[in-house]
Amino acid sequence: MRKPKGKHDFSWKQAAGVTMMLALLFFALLPIIWSFILALRPENRLFEPIWESPTALTLGNIRNLAGTGFPHALFNSFVTATVSTILAVIIGVPGGFALAKGRSSRKFVASWALLLLRMAPPVGFVIPLFILYLNVGLLDTWVGLIGAYMVLTLPLVVWSSWTSLSQIPDELIEAALLDGATMAQALRRVVIPAARPGLVATAVLAFLLTWNDFFFALVITRSDTVTAPVAIMNFVSYASVDWGSIAIASILLTLPTVPVIVFANKYIVQSMGGAVKG
Amino acid sequence: MSQVMGVQPVLQRSYRMMLMPAVLAVLIFAVLPLLGMFVLAFTSFDLVKGWDTGFTLKNFVKLTDDKRFIASIWVMLSLSVFGVIAQVAAGTAIAVGLEKIIPRWRFLRGIFVVPFVVPHVAVALVWLSLFTPTLSPINAFFDLFGITVPALLTTRWGAISAIVIADTWASFPFVMLLILAALQGISSDLDEAASIDGASKIQVFWRITLPLLKPALLMVALFRFIETIKHFPLIYVMTNGGPGRATQATNYYAFIQTFQNSKVSYGASIAVFLFIFAAAISFWVARMNARISDA
Repeated sequence: MRKPKGKHDFSWKQAAGVTMMLALLFFALLPIIWSFILALRPENRLFEPIWESPTALTLGNIRNLAGTGFPHALFNSFVTATVSTILAVIIGVPGGFALAKGRSSRKFVASWALLLLRMAPPVGFVIPLFILYLNVGLLDTWVGLIGAYMVLTLPLVVWSSWTSLSQIPDELIEAALLDGATMAQALRRVVIPAARPGLVATAVLAFLLTWNDFFFALVITRSDTVTAPVAIMNFVSYASVDWGSIAIASILLTLPTVPVIVFANKYIVQSMGGAVKG
Repeated sequence: MSQVMGVQPVLQRSYRMMLMPAVLAVLIFAVLPLLGMFVLAFTSFDLVKGWDTGFTLKNFVKLTDDKRFIASIWVMLSLSVFGVIAQVAAGTAIAVGLEKIIPRWRFLRGIFVVPFVVPHVAVALVWLSLFTPTLSPINAFFDLFGITVPALLTTRWGAISAIVIADTWASFPFVMLLILAALQGISSDLDEAASIDGASKIQVFWRITLPLLKPALLMVALFRFIETIKHFPLIYVMTNGGPGRATQATNYYAFIQTFQNSKVSYGASIAVFLFIFAAAISFWVARMNARISDA
């Protein structure tokens, strides 16, 4: 061992490390703090530096936002993200389970296809979907948008439930079946509880993917089913940009995702790590 | 044991039944649209002129001669290369900082994760406000000292750096989380052995930690690279492809050709190009993966 250092010895290297971390922390926090300031600034003080009138704050922007179409767009976002996540989980998790536990020689093909689908640029999916929807009248409908979101969520759910379910020992499932449980019971009572963290993370990631989506919704929705990320753009026009509403809308859009990720991020890492490691 | 063998055929049958819906759904929802993309790319469909279903290669011939397309590839590569370098550097610095330099700050991890979940439209809008000189607190702050911060979004490389900065902000947590996981997988015995042998902390980092992180770093970088190819909201909101066409990356160019110029088949052929590009990189990822898990 090197000679122990006193607790208060000053080290330039340590100071450099702390400075770097503080700079990065500032970088991470600036946009967040700034969006709260924007959200609370009255319109006539928007272009004044915050330190010149730090107390000129208002809740008026929130009231304005309530009167726009944005709350309805949030509702649309919530419905489409929830439904497409549930569908993808119901269809995808059994598939992931079968891939994790079944004996098939085509697993390599499956993993390769899933990887490819997850890597493929969304514009490639959106162009044919748009033409199809245009012809069958699915543009600007919930069914159309949810169908399009299956493109995003299904490969993700199959892939990452495959990863997390392969950690369940075969013996556990066989023991349950030998005890007379049916496959459905074994799944419900044994497999799913044992793999719950991973499966929850999978569902959370699928929800985030659709909740945060901008591109699919921009192309497929028009007015009735516009989701919140697209609706925010209504506050931007050539004449003026309504920064207060934009900031509040952005915060509202982000809020539902924050607690989830903070509490679940350990499992999210595992499931993303699975996604990266394969 | 023989009882277990007895369960197997039943098991395998139910696995196949469970797999069926997923396979069907993936085929319908994901594979079919991709086939549609190829069909469109090899025919000529125009929202105004209609559809000529005859097989043609003219979209791809046109691509080789399209200056805007070639330029868009360079824009895409600049955004991806600079973005990935910045994200991997920032994410790794924070991971190493939290794990090795100032472990007492580990509680900050939760804060550093937040940008990761902010929807990209919101990311784009907040950075747009930070890059709007009349509004931005950064400009106001430097004005106090008489320094005029240039308006990034009005110049070519400025706009590219603006998107890179916003993307770095949104994506460094992804790198950080995965590198943190990788760091925790590295045994601390090695660190200790090296410091007993008299290596300084910095030497330990460069000679031991970093080489051990290399596979993880490479994977994260490739993964992010594929994601940056798909940039859309940041470009759409912050620059709209501008100034001029300075930030029209290939993905964005496909969108413009299809949905603004109504040239659906031409847009689809650009998408096919992107698809093959992404597939090539994923293939590389998969191969490297196999090598890492074999090791």
